[in-house]
Amino acid sequence: VLRYLITRILAAAIMALLATLVIFLIASQVPGDPILARLGDLAASNPDTVAYYRAQWGLDLPLWEQYWIFLQKLAHGDLGISIATQRPVLDDIAQYAPATLELATIAFVLAILVGVPLGIFAAVARDSWVDHLARFLSLIGVSSPTFWLAFIMLAIFYGGLQIAPGPGRIDAIMLPPENVTGLYVVDSILAGDWETLRNILAHLILPAIVLAAATLGLITRTTRASMLETLGQDYVRVARAKGLKERAVIIGHALPNALIPVVTLGGLAYAQLLTGAVMTETIFSWPGLGRYTFRSAVALDFPAIMGITLIVAVVYLIINLLIDVSYAILDPRVLRR
Amino acid sequence: MPAFDANQLYRRQAARLIGAALGVAIGATPLAAQPAKTVLVIGLDISDSVTFDPARMSQYSAPLTLHAAYDTLVTTDPGDYVTIKPLLAESYARTPDGKGWRFKLKQGIKFASGNPVTVEDVKFSFDRLLNIKDQPSQYVQDIDRVEIVDPQNVDVILKDANAPILTILCAPAASIYDSKIVKAHGGTDAKDAKETDKATQWLDQNSAGSGPYQLTGWERNQTLTLAKNANSWRGKPNFERVIIRHIGDSAAQLLAVRRGDIDAAYNLTPEQIISLKDNPDITIAKGTSLDFIYMTLNNDPAMNEALGKKEARQAVAYAIDYDGIRDSLVGGAALRNVNFIPIGVGGSTEALTKEIGYRQDLDKAKALLQKAGLPNGFTFPLSYGTASIVGVSYQLMAQKIQADLARVGIKAELQPMDQVTMRTQFIGGKTVSALTYWNPPAVETFLWAAASVERVAKRVHWEVPPDVTANVHAAAKEQDVTKQNALYRKYMETLQDQANYIMLFQPIYQVATRKSISDFTLTGAGWLAELAPVKPAK
Repeated sequence: VLRYLITRILAAAIMALLATLVIFLIASQVPGDPILARLGDLAASNPDTVAYYRAQWGLDLPLWEQYWIFLQKLAHGDLGISIATQRPVLDDIAQYAPATLELATIAFVLAILVGVPLGIFAAVARDSWVDHLARFLSLIGVSSPTFWLAFIMLAIFYGGLQIAPGPGRIDAIMLPPENVTGLYVVDSILAGDWETLRNILAHLILPAIVLAAATLGLITRTTRASMLETLGQDYVRVARAKGLKERAVIIGHALPNALIPVVTLGGLAYAQLLTGAVMTETIFSWPGLGRYTFRSAVALDFPAIMGITLIVAVVYLIINLLIDVSYAILDPRVLRR
Repeated sequence: MPAFDANQLYRRQAARLIGAALGVAIGATPLAAQPAKTVLVIGLDISDSVTFDPARMSQYSAPLTLHAAYDTLVTTDPGDYVTIKPLLAESYARTPDGKGWRFKLKQGIKFASGNPVTVEDVKFSFDRLLNIKDQPSQYVQDIDRVEIVDPQNVDVILKDANAPILTILCAPAASIYDSKIVKAHGGTDAKDAKETDKATQWLDQNSAGSGPYQLTGWERNQTLTLAKNANSWRGKPNFERVIIRHIGDSAAQLLAVRRGDIDAAYNLTPEQIISLKDNPDITIAKGTSLDFIYMTLNNDPAMNEALGKKEARQAVAYAIDYDGIRDSLVGGAALRNVNFIPIGVGGSTEALTKEIGYRQDLDKAKALLQKAGLPNGFTFPLSYGTASIVGVSYQLMAQKIQADLARVGIKAELQPMDQVTMRTQFIGGKTVSALTYWNPPAVETFLWAAASVERVAKRVHWEVPPDVTANVHAAAKEQDVTKQNALYRKYMETLQDQANYIMLFQPIYQVATRKSISDFTLTGAGWLAELAPVKPAK
């Protein structure tokens, strides 16, 4: 088992590095100059200033050397200094990641808590109103564009009904909880500040629903389809024939098998929530990684782009690893193979 | 630096798409009972902010905060960018030897810390600015040295006695800070400050000025918090706290100001402003900026043979429907300057634009094409970034220009590109024609004029005759305003004849403010608004 894990992790590390190399090569082919974007008009016209800045970020070196420096720094746990924010990329990521982690996790939990039961019910009670509702919801979730859904939610619940707070993680006049983890929910619980916690949770609801929508749709559909398939299998028929209660058949026999594709999908969906919340974060002014990624890409901020790529790659690889491990738990045959 | 985002384009389109839905969903906004107002909340896209150290700051949104936290020796009032008014200085005059300016400090003024504002602080602030050698130091390069005369007087000695400096000392870069506090947090004004100064990190979260509100925290892409300065020399500030709230999306800002979650919304599009016209809770604050959006035409026949001819460039200038751009794209909220010097400085006025500015005249454009030997028109590529400015996308402007030019047979091929590539190509002189904008670091006419005959001229491959450059330098050093304006007029006429730069519009900023506050005064001087006079409405 240990050997299996170690080979997987080594392979994962190599994959992550390859991902940074690919991104590095692509980004370096863009005909823009990040230094000119960063500097004011006067400074950008001064060749000395431009040369100074280019040298500072090693942009005057040959490509392979730039990448080699990136690797060397990486070995020391250093992702370099962002061109746009002039701060260590690691600091930037550490600052923005908690906001995204919090939002994505709540959206994911929401999607699972609603999606899995809904999918099961829909499959068990096929063609009933539950089934139709589930299919309708998942269709809406999967097909409505995020920015549209976000605007509509804001316009209705914030602008119209006025029952939801506006954009941002917390009301402007409230102070955020003392920074321990950067996760506002956790921090406010640690501080025992229930009023702040309430405000924070209220701010999380709309963006979490928007972010969860697409995932919810996918999970409901997959659970339903997978459950339907399982329910038609021989061993389910056998279980029924043994005279087991329908509940026991579904939960004890059908569900564990039906969940395997859901686990794969759920894992990947979580990774996607963590790394792909750009639109939601933009419209809800959420100070998260999605927004940072977008700005870095627009500014051609090489160190930041590389850092984010690495993080994204690592997130995907970790989650894939977790998926594999959970297969082993759900289906012991995996390890024996 | 950029005051906009590439994705504003999409957001704008999205906003328009659901504009109707918004209107229906919002309906009438019930008024929440407001307790005595002690906090001013401003909605602004602050995602461009990189630092709040006055010696390093060169972005667009940060000066609002800096101007609230720090005072400068001299300043300008909103709308009048010609009269230099003393601020920390009680008065100023030429030094006896005529080589610089002597500033007499007001007495009894304290920093927020309680420390008195002294001539040593002035010298420290300027020396640190110069020695840190970050971007803002370039604006004050004419300063040779700062000398303390006595406890009340300080001299700013210039390399060239007549170089314009007072206007530049109004900018937030020339803020005066509490040297004791800044030193205590690692600040230094030594020659090697570039390497040894360590105060920036502290200055990003705090301020050490004498302004009415002091910075107390900055959560990146989230909020800026300012608290009232208990030692404010202007009297008690009107709010306990000022919060600048990052709301990057204009539609979300619109909702927030409608609901009263923010008192002022900065980044609304012209259409969104129009939608607020009948809202009883909202006033639109307006202020003419000193920024402008313009189009360049390259001089080099090797890059585009037709545009190499002056008459062909002029034909482009006379084919564009400027009033249409102002009215349909910017919702009427703009002026138009003659060339490069914005209306409000250097003798540039609306009347002057009427007199010598370009206007749409299709017959004249056709005649010019004839004269250029191109009766059937010509083709050229028009480059622009996929971004927007003051809520108007370059894409829309380009399409409008394309349609206008088509009427005289000139074909503009649109070349959209991402903003970084656009800037790289433009600064590198590789664009045949470009749509771009200008916003100045300080209200000094010379900064605009010099740019247009020096670095921007290089980008359009215009070899500026020495007498034109000499004229600009003479104008800058001319001490008599009437004579100076005459020289600048001559310069603008040259640019008009050259037709390398075509001014499209000079935006009037529009900020939606709640009626719960009053005296929200916008300025075009570079720091967006004066926060000191803003107060809760009676």
